[in-house]
Amino acid sequence: MKHPSQETLALHAGGDLGWVAGWRTGRHLSHCDQCREEVAAFRGLREVLPDLNEIPEVAWNRLASEMKANIRLGLAAGECVRAEEKPLRHTLFSGARTAVAVASVVALLVTGVMIERPGQRPAPAAVDGVVLQSTRGGIQVFDGARALRLLHTGVKEENVIRSVGAQGSMRARYVDPETGYVTINNVYAE
Amino acid sequence: MRSDSKLRVALFSLLGAAGLLAQNSPLESRDAVKVNIPQDSPVNFVSMTMGESRATARGAALLLDLHMSLELRNASPNRIHGVVLRVVSQEVAAGGKASVAVPSLNIKPGDAFPVRIDLQLIRPTQVLAGGPLVQVDLDGVLFQDFSFYGQDRLNSRRLLTVWETEAQRDREYFKRVLAQSGSKGLQQEVLASLARQADQPQLDVRVIRRRAVAATAAPERTAQFAFVRFPGAPVEPIDGSAEISGSEARAPRIEVQNQSARTVKYVEMAWLVSDSRGQQYMAASLPASDAELYLPPGKTARLVQDTELRFSRRNFPVNIDKMTGFVSQVEFADGKVWVPNRQNLENAALLNIVAPSAEEQRLTDLYRRKGLNALVEELKKF
Repeated sequence: MKHPSQETLALHAGGDLGWVAGWRTGRHLSHCDQCREEVAAFRGLREVLPDLNEIPEVAWNRLASEMKANIRLGLAAGECVRAEEKPLRHTLFSGARTAVAVASVVALLVTGVMIERPGQRPAPAAVDGVVLQSTRGGIQVFDGARALRLLHTGVKEENVIRSVGAQGSMRARYVDPETGYVTINNVYAE
Repeated sequence: MRSDSKLRVALFSLLGAAGLLAQNSPLESRDAVKVNIPQDSPVNFVSMTMGESRATARGAALLLDLHMSLELRNASPNRIHGVVLRVVSQEVAAGGKASVAVPSLNIKPGDAFPVRIDLQLIRPTQVLAGGPLVQVDLDGVLFQDFSFYGQDRLNSRRLLTVWETEAQRDREYFKRVLAQSGSKGLQQEVLASLARQADQPQLDVRVIRRRAVAATAAPERTAQFAFVRFPGAPVEPIDGSAEISGSEARAPRIEVQNQSARTVKYVEMAWLVSDSRGQQYMAASLPASDAELYLPPGKTARLVQDTELRFSRRNFPVNIDKMTGFVSQVEFADGKVWVPNRQNLENAALLNIVAPSAEEQRLTDLYRRKGLNALVEELKKF
């Protein structure tokens, strides 16, 4: 369980937290004895300090004592740091926001690298000629906007043996699952 | 905010338009495909069925999806061991042609057999062409005794003869293992072959044949071939190189010499490439460029091609570090062929790099699907 910081508990003790933070801290206190005791201690300090400096006939003294108590309360809260526990407020808001921001930047960088990485992807540039290439599920010959593709339907890619002839031919060899015959599809750019 | 709204409207409009354009309709086989098999052919055309064949408009392009199953019958007195069908579309007449070959057959006289052709054509929608979209011709039939019938426009005779020679080599090998080591030994050999097939790294190769000599950048370097030489091979490689730029190879050329006493009319080299980590891949075959090659005993010839090859694997370029070549097939003037034997390939550690023959692929697939007994029965048929 993550506990609110000492600062948050001190501010809660003085009723100085905002509405959301106050509700959240109150919710935590409802099931955390440790923090409830902390808050009770802050409240006790806050009540005792003014009494110690009280001079009934001088209203100024009462005011000064209350100010002093608040200052001490603030200083005490500032000095109390629980090194092993992260503040609830930062975990739920700042941490999540940071994570989202970091993830977005990483995704942006990775996408950029994948798209723009020079020389890492064969760029299908327009070619003034005939091109042979294998595609998933077949081999094809294409020339501009026209293409002829022979398919090896129903055959797993790993069971297809492809070969190329440097003169401008391409083959896909497989065992036809329906006929049981070895079938060799050929496309030619000659 | 306002620009966001405009962007959304534009996007929805675009999607809507694409949806309207992406309409499809079934294709009638009679209009789409014409099968040309001569009346006097030793193979008869029995029937053709069209599965889910459709034409789909996609924006400015029309996608024609053709799924055909042809039934042919052996009308000759010999067993058929291989067939090549030529597939031509006038839609891509400038772009090229295709074929579907079925080697390693064993069709008795009178028996019918199916050949499946699944193809797609993509063309601009504004192009209107009369006649069938696709023509299927019988380019060649090879029989058990190596006799041949057909137009042979795609060098089907040589291809089918090479595949049948490799098939005989590998069937004999498996039969010998069965005879010497029994079914357990055969099983081990088949499992080793399946493991090799699974481990063989395959390159994605893009082949470009330009219409005109392009003003391409100068190559980074000219790489020399290292050669694997087989004892008793009729043709020996002498020297060879290719222009290399990263993952791109251009203008491979290899000089070979006929070491045999017979005239050679076709030579093909296998071309292996290694990346910077030393991983070796089968890259391509390098055939003789001269269709009328005539190589008498002792003479030399040069195998030259002017295509560009771009190598990649899993969408990333494979930069070429080293190149190796070996003679993978030779055709003599009398039509007989030479291919490396299994010992050649095994000794040179090439079995792990070079793809198995069509017959080895068929037999190991049969074992995978139907088991050891089915494989043993199949070997007994030859």
